[in-house]
Amino acid sequence: MRLALLWNVSSTEARKRMSYRTDFWINSLGGIAVNFSVYWFLAHALFAASGASTLGGYTPRGMVLYYVFAILMGRMVQSTEMEMGTSQDIYDGSLSRYLLYPVSYPAVKYAEQVGALAPQMIQMTLFGAVAPFLVGIPQEVHITPASVAMSLASLAVANLLHYLLLLPIQEVAFWAENVWSLVVAERFVMSLLGGLLLPLDLFPDWARQVLYWLPFPYLYSVPVRTLMGRVTVTEWATGLVIATLWCGVAAALGRLVWRRGDLQYTGVGL
Amino acid sequence: MLQSDRRIARTCERRRTVAPMIEVDKLTKTFTVHKKEPGLAGSVRSLFRREYVHKRAVREVSFSVGEGEIVGLVGANGAGKTTIVKMLAGIIHPTSGRASVLGFTPWERDNRFRRQIALIMGQKAQLWWDLPAADCFLLLKEIYQIPEERYRSTLEYLAEALEVRDELQVQIRRLSLGERMKMELIAALLHSPRVVYLDEPTIGLDLTAQRAIRDFILRYRAEHRPAMILTSHYMEDIERLCRRIIILREGEIVFDGSLEKVMSEYAEHKIITAHLRKEEAPVGGSDGLGALGVVEESTPDLVRLRVPRGRVAETAAELLRGWPVADLAIEDVDIGTVIERIQRSRQRSQPETAKREEKP
Repeated sequence: MRLALLWNVSSTEARKRMSYRTDFWINSLGGIAVNFSVYWFLAHALFAASGASTLGGYTPRGMVLYYVFAILMGRMVQSTEMEMGTSQDIYDGSLSRYLLYPVSYPAVKYAEQVGALAPQMIQMTLFGAVAPFLVGIPQEVHITPASVAMSLASLAVANLLHYLLLLPIQEVAFWAENVWSLVVAERFVMSLLGGLLLPLDLFPDWARQVLYWLPFPYLYSVPVRTLMGRVTVTEWATGLVIATLWCGVAAALGRLVWRRGDLQYTGVGL
Repeated sequence: MLQSDRRIARTCERRRTVAPMIEVDKLTKTFTVHKKEPGLAGSVRSLFRREYVHKRAVREVSFSVGEGEIVGLVGANGAGKTTIVKMLAGIIHPTSGRASVLGFTPWERDNRFRRQIALIMGQKAQLWWDLPAADCFLLLKEIYQIPEERYRSTLEYLAEALEVRDELQVQIRRLSLGERMKMELIAALLHSPRVVYLDEPTIGLDLTAQRAIRDFILRYRAEHRPAMILTSHYMEDIERLCRRIIILREGEIVFDGSLEKVMSEYAEHKIITAHLRKEEAPVGGSDGLGALGVVEESTPDLVRLRVPRGRVAETAAELLRGWPVADLAIEDVDIGTVIERIQRSRQRSQPETAKREEKP
């Protein structure tokens, strides 16, 4: 696939997403405020229940900061509005349009998803820049230009990994038509084992060792912890390699399911 | 159509068709659909036990379409028209059979094949709803890798021909249905496809827009010579655009030939309409009309008769002799009526193979 085309698709989607100003601000202020409130109460409840001054190496302030970054980066990884895109295309027949074009459907769809992230990118930049000053930077957090750059690279891989992990599940729509509950179930697993609901530092050692070889930590936990300066360069690089390998596995699985499912496609709605 | 368009059309018509651009051989498509009993109880039951039906949408269909030819696929809803188009566009796979479009198997979706075809769907928008048409076309330029100069000249030609130059910057969702359809046509033709599928391109449009789209299709066909397959429920579309039609019934071809052949072989009657001078009484009295043919309409100033083709001249002469005829017209029976009769009268093929089976 040509990069110029992917860029054009992304840019078109970005323009579409940013043509609705009210939605942008409601989503920015309302959505983030609701998420943040939930996680703030969760963090304080954890400390109150345990009575400890640090949990998993985080002070209460560090934990709140973790959640702020997890919310913002989570939105970048999940691309919420597009995560049902493929199954919806199969369900309502919109896939037919893409099948006519001389392009790879998964690649174009991914480019659309990246374009759809434009509002979230603006939100992340705005809120991510002010959050450390509002919450305060505790001693266990070390945000540096290098940690920001490394975190952005992890975030890019995490976004691709999230898309590819959901792709085979969405392709089940070729048979089942409605796969909403499957996608929600996978999203919950990814949020829990990826460190979006709870920092993985709170998990027992054995669980963290198992998760290290699975794709989930590289979705949320690794980008956030990298930004906070809690990951060494070696750990970060190894993480990138593992995440990339999982991208390959998920892509191969997606291709396999696509080949079988494509035979079932009926192109409804024409 | 302009005089020049007619000339181009005639010139193109004289050229000999080389090899068929579309070849279809015993194409069959069977869908498996689950049957749900109505009501709440049926919904609950379907959660545990489902009945599936195999519906043969297309049955061993074979035909070919040559360069510059517009073939009309005609049939009632569910006759299999759109399913055939979907298979030939490579959107769905057939259950069995073979098809070759420009030398490619459509459902293998080779990019070289996809760069040479277009599908225009009257019932389904393909453009991006929130974007102006100009932005959509730029994206399509990238998708089809159209060189800048060719893109500009093609867009200019299409926008001019369809008279939508001033609407290119307007968001698609703000356009009227007719304008939107014109934009869909531009989007589909920007890459100069050699095979064009038109699935009900004039559906829902007003008469002026319908005429504009038909005129444009004729002009485009004359100038570019693509092979075209048209499905439509509007007989005017078929009459104006197609020389050849394929009539489908329950997924089977029941007629494949020229429009003239349909009329000569299946229209057994003609309609004679006579406008009468009110002040004069008929020589033979109005009772004698029944002997001339089937009276479709009879008022003091108008008579409409359905007459066997072989007796048209004789009946017309009789009318002129015995009735105070001010004006007389002889017309073919409406093509839609003839096609409808062909669909009804043909021997029903095997009943639908509905097979019940259980699936987990």
